[in-house]
Amino acid sequence: MNGAVAIVKKELRSYFYSPVAYVIMGVFLFVMGVIFAKFVAIYEAYNRARAFGQAQGITLDKLALYMYQNMAFILCFVTPFLTMKLFAEERRQQTFELLLTAPLRGVELVLGKFISAYILMVLMVGLSFIYVVFMILWGNPEMGIIFSTYIGLLLALACYISLGALISAMTSSQAIAAVWTFIVLLLLWLLQSLGQGVTTKWGFIDWGPTLVYISPLGHFNSFAEGLIHIKDVIYFLTFTIFMLFLTHRVVESNRWR
Amino acid sequence: MIEVRSLTKKYGERLAVDDVSFAVQRGEILGFLGQNGAGKTTTMKILTCFMPASSGTATVAGFDVFEKPLEVKKRIGYLPEIPPVYPELLVSEYLSFVAELKRIPRSERPRKIDRVLERCNLGSVRKRLIGNLSKGYRQRVGLAQALIHDPEVLILDEPTIGLDPKQVTEIRSLIKSMRSERTVIYSTHILSEVAATCDRIVIIDQGRIVAQEAISALSSAGGTTKTEIVVQRMSDQVLRALRDIKGVSNVQPFSNGAHRIVVESEAREDLMAEMSQVVVNQKAGLIRMSPVQLALEEYYLNLIGGRRDMQ
Repeated sequence: MNGAVAIVKKELRSYFYSPVAYVIMGVFLFVMGVIFAKFVAIYEAYNRARAFGQAQGITLDKLALYMYQNMAFILCFVTPFLTMKLFAEERRQQTFELLLTAPLRGVELVLGKFISAYILMVLMVGLSFIYVVFMILWGNPEMGIIFSTYIGLLLALACYISLGALISAMTSSQAIAAVWTFIVLLLLWLLQSLGQGVTTKWGFIDWGPTLVYISPLGHFNSFAEGLIHIKDVIYFLTFTIFMLFLTHRVVESNRWR
Repeated sequence: MIEVRSLTKKYGERLAVDDVSFAVQRGEILGFLGQNGAGKTTTMKILTCFMPASSGTATVAGFDVFEKPLEVKKRIGYLPEIPPVYPELLVSEYLSFVAELKRIPRSERPRKIDRVLERCNLGSVRKRLIGNLSKGYRQRVGLAQALIHDPEVLILDEPTIGLDPKQVTEIRSLIKSMRSERTVIYSTHILSEVAATCDRIVIIDQGRIVAQEAISALSSAGGTTKTEIVVQRMSDQVLRALRDIKGVSNVQPFSNGAHRIVVESEAREDLMAEMSQVVVNQKAGLIRMSPVQLALEEYYLNLIGGRRDMQ
């Protein structure tokens, strides 16, 4: 796995030498800041209403769910920008030949690429922890829910990045990789609504539950509600591993195509 | 060291490499000669395990490129046509990444990097961004990348393309300095380059090998050489006197503007001296005298041309 370590070090270097990582992180934190501010405003309004004895059934849990659902959705926009270069850039500047003719296993290459993007995104999402600090300072959040939500985020990130890596491995254009990653992530996200729609019965089978299961949204939601279900963990892990397996196949296909 | 047996590569319907077989001995420098698109790069990519062959086998240092790619890759240094460098890294960062990639133990890395920097004359740019380097320096960084792990086999795809004459000479002498120490395969479409650096050549055309020959055998091809003599005054006496020299087979005068005489003779140095003596004795006014080194070029063009004619 030494090769994977070399790749991770080089990738992280490249990320931080270019402005892309900083810009994306900045944009992400700005958008999250706006959402957090809105979240605080709603919570404040709720507290005021409660003071007048008119509580509308809004709880802090529901608001946290709202905020983190937004975060998971925004990550769909952010991920493509960070995964697009993983393989596409190597192909474009012909450095793929260096990697594929060095004594490096395909597994090491794919894992190295995946882990480097993962480290970067975990760092980025980790910065959002500042909102948790604010909540603790000026409120009384339920730590269990925050803990499970972040577990959910870590798992969702892995699944997004693995998908981005696969698409990046299939093209030599970063732009195409980014656009397709975004489209596929968005479609996966929307499958939830589609599956809950009324006309999901094609043939004799009701496809609704299947579509809902394929979408990461529902799986993430149970984490954000404070539930760590093994089935959700398995969903994210199998999704990630399957995507990485396909990425490995695509990379290796150079050798037998 | 390298053995290629009936290697064939198809891109869809097009045959890029067609039943190619050759062998390279340890310590030999092999020139891989052919026009653009003749199949040189494809053969090299197969040898470096970058892509598979459609059929046929190849072994490097006794390891099959399809069965044991990892072992082959450990022993090969490869410089592709476009140097595989990352523009956003410093030269030193790039080389330490490559050193790590090629499994050089941590303790040996600094020493190996220093050595390769010195060898490729990169000391002055080690702290520069690769993206800001000129084409010549990038090429040398690419070469450093191929050399860093002391590979037994070096595969260089047109290493001198796009370089200025001084850099070309430097790269050539670098390659020459590796003679007998490493096995080198070196592709080019420039003939003089092959003559200057290689021990042996393989000429490939439209995916097929049309000739494999030792350079020494080629340069005295047929044992004849041509000499061009430029004189002030052309006369029949000079021509006759030149024809009378023993060893001269043909004397051809040209008088378009300057008076030129092309003498075909045996490839011996003392004949040159004798010719100059004759020209001076005849008071023809010797201006210039130079050997016409066309042997390799003619050989090559005849081969390729012959094949085209047959089709």
